[in-house]
Amino acid sequence: MKEEPRIGVFICHCGINIGGVVNVPDVTEYAKTLPHVAYAEHNLYTCSEAGLAAIKEAIKEHNLNRVVVASCTPRTHEPLFRATCKEADLNPYLFEMANIREHCSWVHMHEPEKATEKAKDIVRMAVAKAVLLEPQTEPEVEVKDVSLVIGAGVAGMTAALSMANQGFKVYLIEKEKEPGGITRKLYKLYPTLADSSEVVEPLIEAVKPHKNIELMMSTTLKDVSGYVGNFNVALTGPTGDREINVGTIIVASGSSNYTPPKGLYQYGVYDHVITQRELDEKIRKGEIGKPERIVMIQCVGARKGEINPSELEAFPKSDTAELLRKILKARKDEGWPYCSRICCMNAIKNAILVKEESPQTDVVILFGDLRVYKEYEDFYRRARDLEVRFIRQIEGVPPEIAQVPEGKLQALAYDALSGFEVTFPADWVVLSTPLIPNRDEITLARMLKIPIGTDGFMMEAHLKLRPVDTNVDGVFIAGTVSGPKDVSESIISGEAAAARASILMGNRKVRTDAITAVVDEELCIGCGLCEEICPYGAPKIEEGKSKVREILCRGCGSCAAECPRRAITMRHFGDHQILVQVKALLIPESLKEVGA
Amino acid sequence: MAKDVFEEEKKAGKEFEPLIVAYCCNWCSYAGADLAGTSRFEYPTNIRIVRIMCTGRMDPTFVLETLRMGADGVLIAGCHPGDCHYQKGNYMMEKRFDYIKKAVNSIGIEPERVRLEWVSASEGGKWAALIREMTEQIRQLGPSPFRLMRRKTNATIDAFKSQRLRWIVGRSQVKVEIEEEKYRQVADSIMQEEIERHMITGALKEKGPLTVEEISQLTGLQPSRIVQHIIALRRSGIVNEAGMKNRQYLYKLI
Repeated sequence: MKEEPRIGVFICHCGINIGGVVNVPDVTEYAKTLPHVAYAEHNLYTCSEAGLAAIKEAIKEHNLNRVVVASCTPRTHEPLFRATCKEADLNPYLFEMANIREHCSWVHMHEPEKATEKAKDIVRMAVAKAVLLEPQTEPEVEVKDVSLVIGAGVAGMTAALSMANQGFKVYLIEKEKEPGGITRKLYKLYPTLADSSEVVEPLIEAVKPHKNIELMMSTTLKDVSGYVGNFNVALTGPTGDREINVGTIIVASGSSNYTPPKGLYQYGVYDHVITQRELDEKIRKGEIGKPERIVMIQCVGARKGEINPSELEAFPKSDTAELLRKILKARKDEGWPYCSRICCMNAIKNAILVKEESPQTDVVILFGDLRVYKEYEDFYRRARDLEVRFIRQIEGVPPEIAQVPEGKLQALAYDALSGFEVTFPADWVVLSTPLIPNRDEITLARMLKIPIGTDGFMMEAHLKLRPVDTNVDGVFIAGTVSGPKDVSESIISGEAAAARASILMGNRKVRTDAITAVVDEELCIGCGLCEEICPYGAPKIEEGKSKVREILCRGCGSCAAECPRRAITMRHFGDHQILVQVKALLIPESLKEVGA
Repeated sequence: MAKDVFEEEKKAGKEFEPLIVAYCCNWCSYAGADLAGTSRFEYPTNIRIVRIMCTGRMDPTFVLETLRMGADGVLIAGCHPGDCHYQKGNYMMEKRFDYIKKAVNSIGIEPERVRLEWVSASEGGKWAALIREMTEQIRQLGPSPFRLMRRKTNATIDAFKSQRLRWIVGRSQVKVEIEEEKYRQVADSIMQEEIERHMITGALKEKGPLTVEEISQLTGLQPSRIVQHIIALRRSGIVNEAGMKNRQYLYKLI
């Protein structure tokens, strides 16, 4: 027998953020009139200690069995309020949030009356859903205290060492013959001008003999199955195939350097048109000499505008991988949409290296925007003091490179400040190119079920709040696989990913979201469509019925929407729980009958 | 068919405030709408958001049920192609949407009332612009025929429960003093009056005190007609004044 819903509604002023626009006392009085609402109050800050205490107190005092908080977005505050419910012995899934800040007071600041009416609607919708909420139990699994790190670059080695030093066993695989990734191939690093070997060698020295690290070179991933705490991974390497069982995975497979297509700024046509990476290498080998002038061009193949939506519309029916392959192909010639973040400092670093070796060499940097953040500003000043010349370009008017009779190169550029065209005879033209996603990233992302963003890099679970998590529990990302980073940022993300993975392995147990698919076996005819639709392989037909393995289900609900027998619904996002909100909105009087 | 019946109401309701239901996926579009808030991008108040985890969750019946319940428009907003948190939920939604759109059209509802759009977590500005544009578009289309039909049906049921109309209908079963033809005419106009009055009282019951203009927007009735009814309803002690709003009288149920 279901108990009668007794809902407590807590409406937040959020200081003046909500209360300055929405008439909060009015909304509170309105909430009290709604069916099933046993108690309603308003607080200055519901998320404050006092506000949370008030919720717990009201649950006890008014015998509440559902809680609605009308405040900000559930994307930031739902976990907090759920935890509060739990502390008051109320199942956290008997909580619902009404977003009256981001979706109401903040976007209707000049329409207080209408905003108040809208807030009442939003509260009524949340109350309606709350009536139909059911307690849920989050699935719990054991976590094996072994990790797999993919990629032995700076980020991967840092992550591996961090976990190994905490006592966890780590498999570290690298597709190349040598560890060290891109960094090992560099000469000097900004802003200290230290040799890259000073960073890479100690890492390699620490990794190789470590008793908890098994380093496997020329080894790649063949297949991954399983779930957080218990992944089965098939590897392939020089000694043949191998199966390992791990609890967590860190992807640190890095990125590649963009190679300009032949002819772009005469690259590939004249030998003296090179990339910054090639310049770095030539400085290391002392092949640059004491030239009269070096001209550098920034943002070559980068910051080429957002991906045009029409570009995507050209292939509306393709799936992610197919689409991205097309984007990658299209991008190959045009360049990439994002700022690669490291090229400005890289160019300044090489300019300083040249200038310090050969002060009479004129170094000219042609740029659109210069991004030197934090302490790198000093690095930029140092280049200015060495008389490196920075010349601003305007968008859409790229410099032109030609060869003049004496065999020298010549750069024709438009100086945005003076408004004149300027000509620079040059011994070397150096192109600053971005870091781009690896070609095999798509295969890897597919195997691990990590989404790829429109920039082609792997996507973090949340750009701000969960920068090294992926949306696959137990799989983390470090280094440039999620976007361009310099060495120190790669080390930070390596440490961070290791810390996130260690939490799981240290606890030995993990709970996952209870938003999973449920099959009504009476209705199910075992057709297997859900099995084919699910991107995670969660449903499986056994003895003629679909069985959902909860721990694999991510809760997207695609199977529920497509099931021919309508036998599948989602926990916490059931058909009735979704539609009751719409019904409460459009037919307010229907709320009386909900849950009856 | 429904379209023609409500032609006049729609015209009268041109200035009406549409109600649009938006199904937003948790990861992109709901976050995009959050960002519009954080960035203080203002947009009309006509939208109500229902959060789902992924547009892949959208059963075609959700859209149709939402229309049947009387939403003037339905927006489904998800991640851009390639950005789905669940890899391909948005592609599944896109395929499904072709069928939904055709079905909506075949019911006789303008297909523009139903839209599928991609809004990422970083596109707060796009979200605000989209809501502005869609609100205006639906305003031009007029109120949902379902909503008008439900209001009118409810009012008609209430009218047939009222003493006045029951008396007229009942009375026609026995001998009346005037010609049948004339009686019919009077009975018809009383029925029409009662339906309209119950539309007015229904609107007042649902939304609280309202001005004549607001009642007109909700019911599609001409303001002059509403004023006539209000006078009658006041006389019968059903409706009374309830202060002023924008220099217009507010009316409420007693």
